[in-house]
Amino acid sequence: MSQSARGNNPPPADETPSELGTVPTIEMANAAFAYEGVVALDHVSIKADAGEALALIGPNGSGKSTLLRGLLGLLPLADGSVKIFGHKRRPGVTEGIGYLPQQESTEPNFPISLRQVVMMGRYRRIGFWRFARASDRSAVNEALEMTGLTARARARFGSLSGGQQQRGLLARALAGKPRLLLLDEPFNGLDQPNRAALLATLRELKLRGVTIVVTTHDLDLARDVCDKVLLLAGTQVAFGPTNQVLTLENLQAAFGDVQVEVDEHRVVIPGHDH
Amino acid sequence: MSYFDRALVVITLVGILTGLVGTLVVLRKRVLFAQALTHATFPGAVIGILLGVSLQLGAVVACALIVGTITLIGRITPGGAGAASGVLLAGGFAAGALAQAFGSNVPIDMTALLFGSVLSVSTTDGVLAAVALGLSLLAIVFAGKHLVYAMFDPEGYRGLGYEPAAMEALLMVLTTITVVVTMPAVGAILTIALIAAPAAAARALTARLGVMLIIAPTLSVLSGIAGLLLSREFSVSAGACIALVATVLLGVALIVGRWMPRRLRGEVVA
Repeated sequence: MSQSARGNNPPPADETPSELGTVPTIEMANAAFAYEGVVALDHVSIKADAGEALALIGPNGSGKSTLLRGLLGLLPLADGSVKIFGHKRRPGVTEGIGYLPQQESTEPNFPISLRQVVMMGRYRRIGFWRFARASDRSAVNEALEMTGLTARARARFGSLSGGQQQRGLLARALAGKPRLLLLDEPFNGLDQPNRAALLATLRELKLRGVTIVVTTHDLDLARDVCDKVLLLAGTQVAFGPTNQVLTLENLQAAFGDVQVEVDEHRVVIPGHDH
Repeated sequence: MSYFDRALVVITLVGILTGLVGTLVVLRKRVLFAQALTHATFPGAVIGILLGVSLQLGAVVACALIVGTITLIGRITPGGAGAASGVLLAGGFAAGALAQAFGSNVPIDMTALLFGSVLSVSTTDGVLAAVALGLSLLAIVFAGKHLVYAMFDPEGYRGLGYEPAAMEALLMVLTTITVVVTMPAVGAILTIALIAAPAAAARALTARLGVMLIIAPTLSVLSGIAGLLLSREFSVSAGACIALVATVLLGVALIVGRWMPRRLRGEVVA
């Protein structure tokens, strides 16, 4: 999406117009993240603005989820700097950030409705001492509507299809009215209708000025919806506009010996599902 | 208040408590852990009596030791918490028997400790049960939504900026106080029946968490009162009768739940 197109869209309710376009949503300079003292990802320098979508692409174990967890403040910064909304990243401060973990993180068969799951996205605002208000319920309704799940709101979460559950978890992330959305493999195992619905939601969010960071193996998705790509292989291989980064040379550098075919329509990495 | 009326009040209080906390224990799949705690109360209670302090204080200290040990083993050995719970369950029981043997000059009613003695509970036992219920209700009303989120999706909860381990610790505390105040009425061995069976029965009958939190305490209170009446009628152990009624109710719920229309269970049929 072009900068001028973004400028025509209304800012989110809790954002002043002067902040948009002037402060990058994410700014990382030579950042490195570690698990228990062992560096899992290093030398990451990226920038993403409001309304941009950034795809994190790389083989399994390349550091995609590590970067998301690093952005959330769940991993210690081993080197460099990370700024979110212009402020230094602080652990536990997730205001304005929505997170969609991999679907396997949820407990199947839990006796809880989709609406209750989506309401969880408001818990940061609700805290411990108050109950849901009309504004919380209205945010939940809006998130359900945006993900096309209003009709299934009362259904038990575990009774939904995998694609609907994924969209439900996205609705949970949206209920918190995020300005930055972190999505961990959201397209895994989705059938075509659910994939199309999720793509439409992401496009709509970009139009509203939400910055999206999405980990994926799906290069077509990156081309479809993402403005920028960060290629990872335990370190930063390449970062920049999608078409400039998704080159044969860069992909082979990221995926090692895996054969990569690139033509003007599609990129195929054998062994990775699209 | 007659001893029977006092027993009714206490069994009602612990019934509501075990139903509510049991629902969380069952959903978190922590029944084996709760079972280990119930057995840990046994040596604690024996030592508490031998030292001349209260039974409940000894039980609380023993529970704290067991929780600490299980947590430590779970951190050192991945997946070790389950095995530790199983081993400490037997170990706690053995420690209780040994402690009793060493202090054989102090008269201890072992049957009451193991199988409960609801007909001889004191007013203090009732007050402690009421306090535990009040604290648990407060925790569930204010932290219940966070407890549920942390159980349902720990990674998502962490992503919200909270620590799931804090909710895990809260559940351990709730389980501990439930076990400790239930023990005088139902005993170290049978307490787990009131914690697990009504909640598991509720789980079989509904797909709604809110409904579970109503059905489980109801079944638990029902088990307690029915068991108490049966024990009076047939002059047998109240704890055993209560545990048996809870078990029978679970069996019935599993059968009914299997044949129940999904809509009745609260499932929304597409």
